[in-house]
Amino acid sequence: MSAPRSALSIRDALYEAPGPRTRRRVLIGTVITGALVLLGITAVVRQFYVTGQLAPRYWSLFLQWTTWRFLGQGLLGTISVALAAGAIALVLGLLLMLGRTSGVRPLSALCRVVTDFFRGVPSLLLIYFFFFVPAQLGLKMPSFWMLTLPVALAASGVLAEVFRAGVNAVPKGQVEAALSIGLSPAKTMRRIVLPQAVRYVIPSLIAQLVVVVKDTTVAYVVSFPDLMQNARVLITSYDALVSMYLVIAVIYILINFAINKAALYVSRKTGAKIIR
Amino acid sequence: MGFSELLSTYGEKYLQGLLATWSMTAVSFVFVMVLAVLVTVARVSPYRPLRVVGDLYVQVFRNIPGVALLIIIAYALPELRIVLDWRTCVIVTTILLGSAFGSENFMSGINTIGVGQIEAARSLGLSFTQIIGKIVIPQALRTTVLPMTNLLIAVMLTTALGSQVPLNPQELTGVVSYINTRETGGILTFLISALCYVGTAFLISFAGNRLDKRVRILR
Amino acid sequence: MADMSTGKRSAGSVPVIELRHVDKHFGDLHVLRDINLSVSRGEVVVVIGPSGSGKSTMCRTINRLETIDSGEILIEGEPLPQEGRELVRMRAELGMVFQQFNLFSHMTILDNVTLGPREVLGVSKDEAEKRAMELLSRVGVAEQAHKVPAQLSGGQQQRAAIARSLAMRPKAMMFDEPTSALDPEMINEVLDVMVELARGGMTMVVVTHEMSFARRVADRVVFMADGAIVEEGSPDEFFDRPRTQRAREFLDSIKGH
Repeated sequence: MSAPRSALSIRDALYEAPGPRTRRRVLIGTVITGALVLLGITAVVRQFYVTGQLAPRYWSLFLQWTTWRFLGQGLLGTISVALAAGAIALVLGLLLMLGRTSGVRPLSALCRVVTDFFRGVPSLLLIYFFFFVPAQLGLKMPSFWMLTLPVALAASGVLAEVFRAGVNAVPKGQVEAALSIGLSPAKTMRRIVLPQAVRYVIPSLIAQLVVVVKDTTVAYVVSFPDLMQNARVLITSYDALVSMYLVIAVIYILINFAINKAALYVSRKTGAKIIR
Repeated sequence: MGFSELLSTYGEKYLQGLLATWSMTAVSFVFVMVLAVLVTVARVSPYRPLRVVGDLYVQVFRNIPGVALLIIIAYALPELRIVLDWRTCVIVTTILLGSAFGSENFMSGINTIGVGQIEAARSLGLSFTQIIGKIVIPQALRTTVLPMTNLLIAVMLTTALGSQVPLNPQELTGVVSYINTRETGGILTFLISALCYVGTAFLISFAGNRLDKRVRILR
Repeated sequence: MADMSTGKRSAGSVPVIELRHVDKHFGDLHVLRDINLSVSRGEVVVVIGPSGSGKSTMCRTINRLETIDSGEILIEGEPLPQEGRELVRMRAELGMVFQQFNLFSHMTILDNVTLGPREVLGVSKDEAEKRAMELLSRVGVAEQAHKVPAQLSGGQQQRAAIARSLAMRPKAMMFDEPTSALDPEMINEVLDVMVELARGGMTMVVVTHEMSFARRVADRVVFMADGAIVEEGSPDEFFDRPRTQRAREFLDSIKGH
């Protein structure tokens, strides 16, 4: 009879099935905390009301098709940067991992330094780098790449580590078996280890897309028209700062929530853990 | 611009930047931990409203981009008559983001304990408070050392959001952007800040790894 | 080894454990059907039956790790409390040994054994450790006292878990399939400890698949199937002359192994 028990999460296991007294206490606590939460919500709504932020002029723009079309264009910008940066980071991360695990001393050390560097530096610093430095060197770089490259570099460091965890998850015995039947180390990596490692890290790769999407939000630094930048344009023309930023925040949260859910879904289906 | 010239002109600014990054990181992390504990307590409490609010809190702040949150706190809150100074805006943003991840770390720390040990403690006659104090919290703390080390590094990187508001003194990223808007700073200006970040991250993870080796629970 | 337990054989008094008309459902599943069981002081009751028969669940209801839907559970004639300090106190007097050992993984073996006495009974550190070391040497893991559970073999862990229960000087002990998670070569070292306990007069309810143990040690064998007690009797009666078809089938099925 262990099935019903193992389905129990630890969150619930902390508490035993309540007796009558406990049940009453939990009920009272639920009512009180429920009231407190309602009170909090009321206070927030009230603050919006007294500061005039609930006025229709701040919200009516969301009834206009043009608003959503413009935001939609921004969202397309966000998606294109995120996908491009994600794809570059995928390749770069894989190369960094292969270099690090190559066994060639200088290459492995270099890849390790590069990986740690991109993991240890804020993406904003990288974005400023691509905003200032190419121009200082006389290169003209489109704003798309000024945003995409730093976001990709920042992600590549993390992805290199994710890939490495995936490679480590492949049982050593398989590598030994492959080598013992005469496969070269490179071939063993390509034919035996990598296919399994990649399958293992797919949920983690999906989850990392959240970080990429978040990093794209500073597009305004390089004046790239993403969701956030387009929202800022709308704010100046409609003077609806609070409502617009809140709506934008909700959109970002929903997008990232969906990505996380997708990662979790794949993780559950394949039984592979999400590495962060 | 050469290295010595850069240092003589802006050396002090970098130093102030490093200290600003460090102090914001430290202050933020203390509150991140406190808030993460509170949020986790709410999420495992037997009261549904608290659980819902705790779960919602985590979903919101682990999914919102840092810049969006900072902008809301720095520019939208004043319209609601809540005005914080710039430094506080950055710190509050960092705390909100960090505590959501901190709570996730604690939750997975609790999850590694396993129902069996709780039942064993119950069978010995330990009360709920004793189980929490003697079994759950010690294990959750010890298994979260490495995740929390990584969180501390993430908190430091998040303080770079300070470059998006007029801070005084500026933190490491703001310093670089300040210098480069004034002159052709070049790669070196970035490298100095980057090395400060990477060096700090290295120290943090070194300390975290040592602590983890000392307290890690064999399973 | 008589002082390993506080139990004494004295038939005729109030049963230490008594279940009356206990029923329990997991959703649509009727896992315990009208269970009536009484365990006297010093008695060793071995519960056997196919997996999914509800024997573990029954064992776990005795200290309310599982709740029941209806019926009564009495400990020395007192109803099992449902919550609060009364329940905690009652649990402290009943030992429980689990299939998965469930030692506290962040503590040394010694700390595992002293935790209960120190936290629940208020015994001093020195005294608790002295007694813990006695118990650990009796179950043969004194050498391991300062290691953490993960450094011990399964058999050692289970013996330490038994010592942890004994440290509370329980009135009775429940064993929930104590050897099912063990490698075959470790089963006997745990059973030996249990045999000694039984000889020392401990009141025991043992859920197990170890038929030789049941035959050797049980005062009474209880056979469960589909959530109900189908048959009970002395080991000789049950193993040599099972009365029900269900029991005969079960005994035949395990003979094949």
